[in-house]
Amino acid sequence: MTTGSDDLHVLLGAYVLGGLSDDDHRAFSEHLRSCRQCQTELGQVSGMPRLLDLAGPEGGPHLTDTPVAVPAPLMTDHDDEHLVTLLGEVARRRRRRRAWMSVVAAAAAVVLFAAGAWLGPQLLTPTTPTLPTTHVAAAAVAGSQVRIDIALVTRGWGTQLDVNCEDMPTNGELALWVIDRSGRATSAASWRATPAGYSRVTGATALRPNEIQALEVRTGTGKVLAEART
Amino acid sequence: MPLDDEAVAEIYREHGPMLRRVVWRATSDANRVEDIVQEVILRVWKQAPEADNLRAYLITTARHLIVDQHRAAGRRPQQAQLVDVAEADSALDRALDQVLVEEALGRLQTNHREIVRYLYFERLTVAETSTRVGVPEGTVKSRAYYAVRNLRVILDEMGVTR
Ligand SMILES: [Zn+2]
Repeated sequence: MTTGSDDLHVLLGAYVLGGLSDDDHRAFSEHLRSCRQCQTELGQVSGMPRLLDLAGPEGGPHLTDTPVAVPAPLMTDHDDEHLVTLLGEVARRRRRRRAWMSVVAAAAAVVLFAAGAWLGPQLLTPTTPTLPTTHVAAAAVAGSQVRIDIALVTRGWGTQLDVNCEDMPTNGELALWVIDRSGRATSAASWRATPAGYSRVTGATALRPNEIQALEVRTGTGKVLAEART
Repeated sequence: MPLDDEAVAEIYREHGPMLRRVVWRATSDANRVEDIVQEVILRVWKQAPEADNLRAYLITTARHLIVDQHRAAGRRPQQAQLVDVAEADSALDRALDQVLVEEALGRLQTNHREIVRYLYFERLTVAETSTRVGVPEGTVKSRAYYAVRNLRVILDEMGVTR
């Protein structure tokens, strides 16, 4: 069976893959000489046989009737577990990356304190990356230039709050407040400012991450430096 | 969920299964597959989360990672008994190319895939394919046309450009 001249373009596919009758092959070769469109398209797909030859002799597992021989455990649905591991790792790397929001504002006065960086309540057991962790960047409020990253780690007893602060006030007390869905605020950690303006503290709340509406870092006098909505 | 988590979860759900197949078939090491896949996704998320061609980027990253690990471990791809590193690398490249092309064929829609199978791999004629599939010759021809076009697009997407 041959093809009408209007339908000649379509022969390009079988011309590339093979299998055209002699008549069709001749007709397409002739058509190709004068058809710009087919010349262009052939240029794009003429390397196809070479690529197809990279596959196994029968075209690989998707073309034969035997299914892909991938060990069953790899393909079953541990996906959610893996995803939790993956997101834990994301949280860890994100902390390192410090992609924090920064807002330009006035600098605070400098008074030196001889305090260490690890102050807040140390309720925690060491963090393992497999725990479900959510990260939030707390946005500095107007007039503040702090950069704060908070990791919410789900624990059996509530939520562990790993706080990383930079460009903080260098004197006075600082505190992390947790605001629940009803708007009630409770203190989850308090610590003393450091000369470097940098601190890493860990706080804790009985609330679960989904019960937390917002997190605020405040000064000892209650001024909000940064807030994050979850 | 913060943006990062969502982005990573989405990459993982959309591309994880394909990556797992590719890595498994290129390394034949079930114990390392999930680790490699996760590392690939993390790297891509860090370096180019908004890449236009994410699939190609993921595959290229997987390729680098597998090659590096092979070198580091002094392993030979697919148990081939090869002597020098360059040779081992090119064997691994071939193994990866093979897997990628096979994956691309797997992503073709079924009625296009079977046309490629009969016309190209089984060397049947259009007429024979028509009989085998049970559709008119004209349909075989137009399916062959679209199969080739779509395959080109899929291969481009996977970064197989040679
Ligand atoms: Zn034409």
